[in-house]
Amino acid sequence: MCKVTKERVFEAISTVIDPEVGFNLVEMGLIYDAIIDEACNVHVVMTLSTQGCPLHQMIKQWVEEATQKIEGVKDVEVEVVWEPAWNISMADESVKKALGGI
Amino acid sequence: MTPISRDFAPPLKLIAPFFKWGVIFYLFSTLTLLFFKPTFSYEQMDVAGWMHLFLLGFVMIIIFGAMAQLIPVVLEVGHEVVDVYYVILPLLVLGILLMVSGFWLKPVLLPYGGLFVLIAMVIFAFENMITLKKSTLKTLTVKTVIWSNVYLLLGIVLGFVMALGLVGGVDIDISYLLKAHAYAVLGGYVVLTIMGLSLTLIPMFSLAHGFDQKYVQRAFRCMIVSVAFVFVGALLHMHWLMYIGYVLSFVGMVLYLWQIYSIYKLTVRKEMDVWAKFMIFAFFTLIVSLLCILLYFMTGIPSVQHASMWFLILGFIASFILGHLYKIVPFLVWFERFAPLVGKEKVPMLNEMYSKEGATVMFWFTVSGVICGGMGLLFESDILFKAGGSFLFTGAIFLYITMKKMLVYGV
Repeated sequence: MCKVTKERVFEAISTVIDPEVGFNLVEMGLIYDAIIDEACNVHVVMTLSTQGCPLHQMIKQWVEEATQKIEGVKDVEVEVVWEPAWNISMADESVKKALGGI
Repeated sequence: MTPISRDFAPPLKLIAPFFKWGVIFYLFSTLTLLFFKPTFSYEQMDVAGWMHLFLLGFVMIIIFGAMAQLIPVVLEVGHEVVDVYYVILPLLVLGILLMVSGFWLKPVLLPYGGLFVLIAMVIFAFENMITLKKSTLKTLTVKTVIWSNVYLLLGIVLGFVMALGLVGGVDIDISYLLKAHAYAVLGGYVVLTIMGLSLTLIPMFSLAHGFDQKYVQRAFRCMIVSVAFVFVGALLHMHWLMYIGYVLSFVGMVLYLWQIYSIYKLTVRKEMDVWAKFMIFAFFTLIVSLLCILLYFMTGIPSVQHASMWFLILGFIASFILGHLYKIVPFLVWFERFAPLVGKEKVPMLNEMYSKEGATVMFWFTVSGVICGGMGLLFESDILFKAGGSFLFTGAIFLYITMKKMLVYGV
């Protein structure tokens, strides 16, 4: 029985920070889901704030590495999707406030 | 350790020299402005020399360096042969130095310089085209890249013919060819490229999403047709065709500004960093340039046209580039030196990699320089023009120092 939870995966990914805006990917609302199967394989569904972001490959890699560090996790797969497209309403209130959007 | 993925970013050692040389040429061209008077003709050899120093040395070299990084961002595929950029830069630098020496000192050097520049640009355009073939994207920005490269080649070939004409190699009418050459390179390459890149870079840095691209699509069509009309009109001495081209360019630029406004309305990130300030100033000077050109067509006063070109080149184009240097250079340095350390130790944010005070001082000197220099040209005031040149040069010194510090950050 896998003991890894979605919350634990999100917590691990929250260590990954976008160097341009200075917020972590979870508070930016870029991580859509983390699906964990019984064998403890993790499938992370995420997006990026811009298609063609030069950090695209690297951010995927950081998310994968951060998730892999969780004890008990076996394989990690990171899928970047563009639907639904990211918008500021998906970010935490603190991010919106810091960016000046509200 | 897992190797860092470099699919979308060429190495710093390849791109950094473009920015170093671009800034050195910017410094040199702002310094040499002090030796010019606010009354001139575009056909003067010393003026042509300065234009090439600024447009090739600063604008083109920075754009080429930026494109080494941005082509993969825009096309979402890696370069086909990114190593050609190692060859492009020395060819360009040598070509520019020979050309400027040709314009200012010994005209016989012009075709040699022109040949080096031509070879560099053919390599650049060819590499872009074969990289484009790999991309499955058909976005507006991709189409812009294709058209801008076509115009770059047409413009540069014509420039080389002019270089031969100036030393008596071929018999040509310089005044008409100059218009075709300038329009193809400035309107067809530089402005189209900036329009295309704006659509990727401005929403990316300002976090604007969900905007309609209809205005820029129309702007893009207007610019492509207008450059073709002016180019053909100038070569065939058809003034009416050239005038239609000028009007279409004007309409295209207004539509482009409207598009920028529609993106600005959706901007989430309201932070006023040096990039945001430069963007506001760039678009402000573009509006001033358009108003001046409108006034010129109504009055025919040459100084108004000179001011319009000043606000377009040193205002809009230069500010757009200068602002982006504070985004692109820290990113490249960060990517090279700090990305491998993510998750292992604390890494700096991009905006911590340059002095905010230095950038702010540079911004205000540049703004003062552009405004004073433009007013100097408009009113043909030598004092105002010299003041403008001095402010720009002082700003360029701050830029040079900031750039040097950014490039060695973390070494």
